[in-house]
This record gives sequence, C-alpha cells and structure tokens, in this order.
Amino acid sequence: MNNERLKSITLGLLVVVGMTCAVLMVRWTDALRPPADPNTVDESLYLNDKTARRISLGFNGLVADWYWMRSLQYVGKKMFEYQGDLSLDDLSPLNLKLLVPLLDTATTLDPQFIAPYEYAAIVLPSIDVQQAVRLTQKGIAANPNAWRLYHHLGYIYWRQGQYELAGETYGRGAQIPGAPAWMEAMKAKMATAGGSRSTAREIYMRMYEQSRDDQVKEMVRKHLLQLDSLDQRDGLRKLFSAYKERAGKCPDSWRQLEPVFRAARIPVDQGGAPLDPSGAPYILKAGACEVELDWRTTKVPLK
Amino acid sequence: MVEQLKTLDAAQATTSYEKSKPVRYGSLGRISAIARNAFREALRDRVLYNLVLFVLLLTAAAIFIGELSGGQERKIIIDLGLSAMLLFGVFIAIFVGVGLVYKEIERRTIYAIFSKPVGRGEFLVGKYLGLCLTLLVNVVVMGVGVSLALMYVSRGWDPLIPTIWPAVLLIYIELMLLTAIALLFSSFSSPALSALLTFLIFVAGHFSADLKVLATSLGSTGARWFFTGLYYVLPNLSNFSFITPAAHGRTPGTGFVFASALYAVVFITVILAAATLIFSRRNFK
Repeated sequence: MNNERLKSITLGLLVVVGMTCAVLMVRWTDALRPPADPNTVDESLYLNDKTARRISLGFNGLVADWYWMRSLQYVGKKMFEYQGDLSLDDLSPLNLKLLVPLLDTATTLDPQFIAPYEYAAIVLPSIDVQQAVRLTQKGIAANPNAWRLYHHLGYIYWRQGQYELAGETYGRGAQIPGAPAWMEAMKAKMATAGGSRSTAREIYMRMYEQSRDDQVKEMVRKHLLQLDSLDQRDGLRKLFSAYKERAGKCPDSWRQLEPVFRAARIPVDQGGAPLDPSGAPYILKAGACEVELDWRTTKVPLK
Repeated sequence: MVEQLKTLDAAQATTSYEKSKPVRYGSLGRISAIARNAFREALRDRVLYNLVLFVLLLTAAAIFIGELSGGQERKIIIDLGLSAMLLFGVFIAIFVGVGLVYKEIERRTIYAIFSKPVGRGEFLVGKYLGLCLTLLVNVVVMGVGVSLALMYVSRGWDPLIPTIWPAVLLIYIELMLLTAIALLFSSFSSPALSALLTFLIFVAGHFSADLKVLATSLGSTGARWFFTGLYYVLPNLSNFSFITPAAHGRTPGTGFVFASALYAVVFITVILAAATLIFSRRNFK
C-alpha cells in the first residue's frame, strides 16, 4: 500500500469516525441539558411586523409563509407538551403569548394571506379576544371582499354573546358580491335566536364547509358531535318523563326503554343502551331520570 | 474578418459543429457569437446545476409542506418556488455577471479578442446577452418546475399555474437588470467589490419606496433632494416583485408589465452604455 492510499484511507476514516463522534456528542449534550422552563421558553420576536416587512426585500410572501408555519408549529408544540384535553377554540391553558405577534407579522408581510386571520379568529378569542377582533378587522381592511372574514368576525362576537354585533357583521358580509345567501340568514338568526343551539349548529356547519385546515375541521366536528349529543340527551329526557308518567318512577335500566328505542329506530348497544353520536353508549343514572356521556369511551367533548 | 471571428470562437473552445456553421457578418453577428460563447461557458461552468438543487427543494416542499402549512401548500409552493427562482437568479446574475469580464482579463484571452475587429461595446453586450440567455433557460425550467409541483399538490391542473407566468416574466426582467448592473461594476472594479456593490443595489432597489417616504419626511432640503435623487437614480426593483400577489392568483395588468419592461429596457440601455464608456477607456496593460 503506497503512502497516498494510506493517507486517503486515514482521512476517510477520520471523517467517518469524527462525524459519528459529533453525532453521539450532540445526543449526549441533549440528554444533559436541563428541561426548559415552559414559562420562560418563549423569547420575544426579534423583529416587529413592520421591520420584518421592510427587510424581506421581494420575499415578503415567503417570509409570511414562514411566520405562518411557525405559528402552527408554536401552537402544535405547546399542545403536544400539554398533558390535558384541549380544544382548538380553548387554548388558554397553553400561555400562547407569541401567537399574536407571529400572526400579526405574517399578515403584515402578506396582508392578502387569509389563513392567519381565520386561525386568529378561531384560536385567539379564548386567549385575547380584543386581539382576535383586531386581527380579523385588519384582515377585513386589507381584503374588503373576503366575506369569509366577516363570518369569522361574526363568530368571535357570537362566542362573546354579542349577538347584535354578530348580526351586524353577518349583515355587512352578506352585502359583499359573491357572499352566500346563508350570511343574510345568519344575520336574522342572530337577531332572533343568537344563543340557540340551532344557531350554533349553523355556524359550525358553515365553518366546517369553508375551512381548509384539518385542525379547524376536527374542532368543528367535535362541536357538532356535542350539539347532536345535547339534542339526543334532551330527547332521552323526554322519554324518561313519558316513562315516569306511565310507570310512576324513573327507569332503572335501559332495557325498560328498549321497545321505545326499537320503535323510534334509535341505535343501541348489546346492553340496550342508546349510542351517542361518537358511537359510545350513554350512561343511565338509575332512578334519577338523567343521562350522561360515558367519559371513558365517548369522543364527544364533555364540556 | 470571418476567419478572425472563427479564431475568436476557437479561443473560447467552441464545438466543431459551431465551427462548421456559417458565421454572420456585422456587429450583430459578432455580438451573437460572443453571446453564444458566454452561454456555453456558463454551461461548462455548471451554472445550471442550481436547477438540480431547485428541483430537490420543490420536490421536498411539495411532499412535506402539506403537513406543516395548515392547508396552504399551493400558496407556499408558489412563494417558495418563485422566491427561489429570484434568489438563485440573483446569485447567478451577480457571481457569474461580475466574472464575465474579469475572467477574460485574468486569462488574458481579452487580448486575443480585441486583436480582432470586435468593439468593446460589442464584447460587453455579447457577454450580457449570453448571461441573459443562461438566466432565461434557468427561469423557464424553474417556472415549469413550479407548475409541475402545483399540479402534484393539486392532483391535476391548478388554476394558479397560468397566474405565475407574468410573475416569472417580471422576475426575469429584474434579473436582466441586475446582470447589467453586475456587468457595469465589473467593467471597472474587482469581482469581490462588484459582487458586493451589485448586491447592495439589489437590496437598495427593493427599499426604494422607503427612500421616497424618507425623502418626504425629512426636514432638511438638502437631505430631501439627496434621497429623492437616490429614489430616481436607483433601479426600482419593487416594480418587478409580483411573487406574493401571484400566490393569491392575482396577475399584473398588461399595462403594468409593459411599463415595467420598458423601464427595465431604458435602465439596461443606460447601464450598458455607461459600462461600455468605462470599459472602452480601460487600459489592460
């Protein structure tokens, strides 16, 4: 083996062994590093939204995409680390203090980027409702023809119980050319039955139709399951009342109501218990004329 | 003269096919010969290898971005693809552009060229057009790449595909302008300094709207005049930034594209004239 060959093999080995050592050392230092304090881990953004726009040169759209994906990663990481049950429209336990500046920067960089406004309208009301309204209004100012933003602003007001404002917002959105007819119907519904379950169902169904975000769709689907379950439980309570009138007491088991379920074609499990919208059996509170969700098996949100 | 131009081509390693082709007469023929050589030289320098990186970037984005973007993959593909097109193009325009003249001087082939009846202006314009041709191939291939990536994420034809091409055209015009600027600096300065100055012009060109605002907000008349002057003298590159609207399916009006192209043509003519003026006074001894 000549000297040149030996030198090449030695250098090659040095590269491979050195790189392996470097990888192992990174893993080692990762294991040694103390876990970050969740209350201090969020650093403020280095750049405010206007500066970010100015220095983005011709790449403001791409930088806006980056801030948008960073917002999603930021929320996703916090949700992943959180041990409890969470819904996208109530993320208040996560301390998402960077979410507003992240979404603000994304929308300043690309004011026509609708997705961050929609995300703000869904996620922010439980964290900072004023910022949610401000960001959605910023979106409307930059995109006056985007009727979907009026729908989202109306949704924020509706969640706050401000049905008059919600109705006005739906009404303004309905004026936009191309807005669907149900926007006008929502205006009327807000005025007459803003807090009703049917209004909630209508809002969530429209949101499900319009959204392209899987997370939002999943959140809406759960709300719709919950509304269906509330309706079902009301129906079951009516059955209990009828049974009590007839038998003089509340039913002790689902079997006692089996003929009624069969006649009404209500799906039941093997034990005769009716099934909730997620397919889990309801629990009968024996002798109390009350029904509840089985928290161990149901996929319907409990609150 | 024909034989002399053939020698000039041979000095830059032309193919045998090229040698057998009839050579055109006149200034346009000489410019065309230099442009073709500049293009071939760029190919030999593997400038178009950046397309491989671009394709890898877009493929990765098309496959993975869906999971990260919350349903915004089409917008992000366009933003990413067109921004990469601009960025890669800027790097080619700057780093290849500043070397166009310098390499000829460094290798002393410039003596062989100018010993033939080739004007210095013809040489500069030929080099410029050669690099523009390289950039055109680059931009067109990248545009097709972005269109294919869009088709992949949309699982078929995407209505955004036709809307990206006006933005691609504006990017190409911006790159042509930057190439001319790089050539101007390289006609009197070192490659490192030329690259730095061209990059600064690229940055300042995108800040030109701010310069105007700054000029109007300043109290001092002198400063106001200075920044207003700077606003008009620097190329207004924000005229060519249509990437973000393209990602939303918006296309620039024909009038706007025409005005921007005309502005670029005027600017490029001025820059090439200035470059020729400086270069024709340059002493290569």
